[in-house]
Amino acid sequence: MHAASIVEHLARVRSQLDQAGERLTSPSTDALDSCTEDLASAVRQLAQWQPLLVAEAGNPAALEEAWRVRRSFQRVRALLHGAAGFHANWMRIRGTMSAGYTASGEPGPVRYGSRVCLQA
Amino acid sequence: MANLLASLISSAGTLEAYGRVLETAQNNVANASTPGYAKQRTELYALPFDPQGGATGGVRAGKMESSRNEYAETAVRQQNTAMSYQQQLVDSLTPLQNQFDISGNQGIPAALNSLFQSFSAWATTPNNTATRQTVLDRAQQVAAAFQQSATALGYQATNAEQQVRQTVDEVNHLVGQLAHYNHIALQGNKDDAGLSAQMHATLEQLSQYVDVTATFQDDGSVTVLMNGETPLLLEDKQYQISAGLTQPQDPPPNYPNGPAAMQILGSDGTDITSKSTGGQLGALLQMRNQVLPSFIGNAYQQGDLNTMAQQFADRVNQILTSGNISDGPPAVTGVPLFTYDATNGTAVARSLAVDPTVTTDQLATISPGPPYVSNGVPLALSQLATPLQDADKISGISYNEYYGRLAGRVGGQLNDATDGQQVQQSLLAQAQDLRQQYSGVSLDEEATILLQFQQAYQANSRFITVLDQLTQATIDILQR
Repeated sequence: MHAASIVEHLARVRSQLDQAGERLTSPSTDALDSCTEDLASAVRQLAQWQPLLVAEAGNPAALEEAWRVRRSFQRVRALLHGAAGFHANWMRIRGTMSAGYTASGEPGPVRYGSRVCLQA
Repeated sequence: MANLLASLISSAGTLEAYGRVLETAQNNVANASTPGYAKQRTELYALPFDPQGGATGGVRAGKMESSRNEYAETAVRQQNTAMSYQQQLVDSLTPLQNQFDISGNQGIPAALNSLFQSFSAWATTPNNTATRQTVLDRAQQVAAAFQQSATALGYQATNAEQQVRQTVDEVNHLVGQLAHYNHIALQGNKDDAGLSAQMHATLEQLSQYVDVTATFQDDGSVTVLMNGETPLLLEDKQYQISAGLTQPQDPPPNYPNGPAAMQILGSDGTDITSKSTGGQLGALLQMRNQVLPSFIGNAYQQGDLNTMAQQFADRVNQILTSGNISDGPPAVTGVPLFTYDATNGTAVARSLAVDPTVTTDQLATISPGPPYVSNGVPLALSQLATPLQDADKISGISYNEYYGRLAGRVGGQLNDATDGQQVQQSLLAQAQDLRQQYSGVSLDEEATILLQFQQAYQANSRFITVLDQLTQATIDILQR
């Protein structure tokens, strides 16, 4: 494998992760579905090239790009956890507001029935 | 008759609820361009309808959505606090990094390299006066470089101190504004949407400086705590915080004359410094009380710059005084070259100097041995550049490497802060987006979204786990 190709390959993976990160800054359910595709593609590519990386051990340009990939991944992870945390916490608060606590001290299940909603 | 009355009461309640919906819509239009204003909606809940059991049905207005909006506001404030912390760290660490030149072209490394070269030249021509004068000149440059670095870092500490004081003033000012808004709310204006917008905008501003917990009360006032426990505002009573310098006494300081630490006090005089970890204030305290003292010292540490200056000066002086200026008899021993304030370990770098009374003739050249070496002293001094013995090293490495580590430490901290800042910027944007996304969504729509989101998150989280391993494995393989 040429050194340039591994760097280019890693850069493509990074670009996909950055794209996923951009989507996650506005985490609608559609954005999350698209994000899944990006992440799946990034996993496939990294796994596919992994056995060939040994030949590039010690290549500083490849290592630098690998660190960039790692940083992009960490951003995606933080954003995904941020969005998930936001919803999970609200689910818990909403559960306690509508159904109190269960016998084990967990928030009650969110209830959806018997509600009329008028848009003002 | 009872049923008729119940129906009338139910109708009246329903009309009142619809009236509130219309008022809300009117308010939204009126405040369309008010900064900090969040669109309001009134959620209506069906009441049980069972005429025989006395349940008359109808609707009532709910509070859950306003709770959700407040939750979203809190999420934005939390991310704002975290982002401001990282931003301030980057702003403070950037000038610090500029102090540590690792190119070897200026500052301490350049001065050290020049001095080492002059030692080598002196070893070649030990009795040449011009070469000896060069040694004295270069030694003065080393001392000046340490002084300049220590002074510059001291200036940064002073600057951080001023910024801490300004930040505390700004916190008190913003909390004062909130106290004023609370006063207005407590006078019966709790439903004033404009007032609510001002309160939220001020809280968001405040969250840049410190980690705040804001709880809105039924009377419309907001209770503000710092770091979840220090009261800043209860109803319309403000609790001011203050900043000052302190020299800790418990445990007894190792360096009683070391630079004082900054302290944040609650309104009752309680020391809340260790709890003031968020926002700009947290980052400034981190710089002032942790990062800078690791270089210039405080009550409990000498600071790496002082340690380096002292060990270097001591080692050079030791080599010079172990040599002879002349064989005699009687033999004339060498004199120390460097001086510094020995009464204060944290002042070594800024007080390092070349003894002005030392002349070129007083530089010892002869190593009396055994074995006797006529140019043994300059040879030993030149070994400091690439040391072989432990006595010529500092923490097991050369002086240049040690300085490189100090520079690397700052660079590493700055890189971490820059990465953290970029992530936090995205998280803040995300929190603002979520606040916006949910402001016009009904609770029923939201229920569907939450379920969809839960599924989408589970799908993504599987890939996150795999990517964590793959990206780390990629780095591990490439850096072998």
